[in-house]
Amino acid sequence: MADDVRRWSDELARDPASLVFLPLGETLRRQGRLDLALKIAMRGLERHSHNSDAHDLLARIAVDRGELQRAFDEWDMVLRLTPDHIGALKGMAFVRFQQGNTTEAAQYLERAAERNGGGDAEVAAALANMRGAGRGTRDEGRVARGAPDNDGHPAPRTPRPAPNDVRALFAEILGEHEQTALLLDDQGLVLAGTYVDGEGNDVGDEVGAELSGVTDEARRATRHLGIGEWKAIVLETEVAVITMAPSTGDGLLVVAASKATPIGLVRRVLDRCLERARRWLEAGR
Amino acid sequence: MSRSPFASVLASLTRQRGVRASLVVDENDGIVIDSNLQIGQDGDRVAALAASLYRKARLSAAAAHLGNATFMQLEAERGRICAAGHNDLVLVVVADPAANIGMIRVEMIKAAGGLP
Repeated sequence: MADDVRRWSDELARDPASLVFLPLGETLRRQGRLDLALKIAMRGLERHSHNSDAHDLLARIAVDRGELQRAFDEWDMVLRLTPDHIGALKGMAFVRFQQGNTTEAAQYLERAAERNGGGDAEVAAALANMRGAGRGTRDEGRVARGAPDNDGHPAPRTPRPAPNDVRALFAEILGEHEQTALLLDDQGLVLAGTYVDGEGNDVGDEVGAELSGVTDEARRATRHLGIGEWKAIVLETEVAVITMAPSTGDGLLVVAASKATPIGLVRRVLDRCLERARRWLEAGR
Repeated sequence: MSRSPFASVLASLTRQRGVRASLVVDENDGIVIDSNLQIGQDGDRVAALAASLYRKARLSAAAAHLGNATFMQLEAERGRICAAGHNDLVLVVVADPAANIGMIRVEMIKAAGGLP
């Protein structure tokens, strides 16, 4: 990462019009070097004032600096330039949510869901969370304030099951990110975790039914090819990255995240969830 | 060498470093439509198993409303099976651990998009 920052900085010094200010600014933002990130973003915008990604970057930096209205204005500019920008809609929802305007926040989330065909699990979960909070039925009426999610765009957070609920077995590992994890037995039945669909519903049973027998088939395929035991399956879809790995007792662990999440990161989460599942199963649940 | 419409796609994939076999398979019944295999590979069985795995993974994603599958990779201790589908056809590649999976992935997604 430090090498990347150095390389991008050098490139920007050589060519001030380069678009590397985008990854450079984002990396600095993620490192918490907000003043420097802001400086980089502002300089980039001077040369690329009609670049929606540049305004998006500035908005995310502004959120991290606690400048919510500035962030909202930048995302508003992003939408003028790129009307279907999902990240901007999510960000604007976050700002309105933080400002206590849940009605408008829900409207932005609905627009984001419409633009994405309902396929963004993060948006759907946040929307379900907000609607649930509106009815006072979920999370005891308390809506958690969200932090920026994996693609750097904040969104109101999905409610988590109670800590002693087996659905929450992986909650600590999944943390604030809108990822989902599910542990299945050898019959495809849900043992622990949840699997949230694009509308915020837990579809663990349906997913388990479809994946029943995967462990056995994967084992047969790899043995037939003489390539040893299988370690993981990674499935990429239009909106998600889904990883699976064999678990204790011919079970299957499934972790899904938004497409914006780097595959390597999802694999790390999968490994940690596997270890958590192993300890839980060995402890007799 | 195969002379089917898929021959050039399969040959292109098999030329990638570490690729041991490439096949076009009917997802529904797992039957090989065309293949480019190294000696010693049982194409029929590989095809059936890979197509079945891809189908299960694809259907699970559909059940979760997570969109259409674009690429699947199974990692094992000493190799990988990759699959990318379009309509009822699945492009399958068997590769060594040392294969450049990033390059293979890009080539497969591109090639799958051109499947009828």
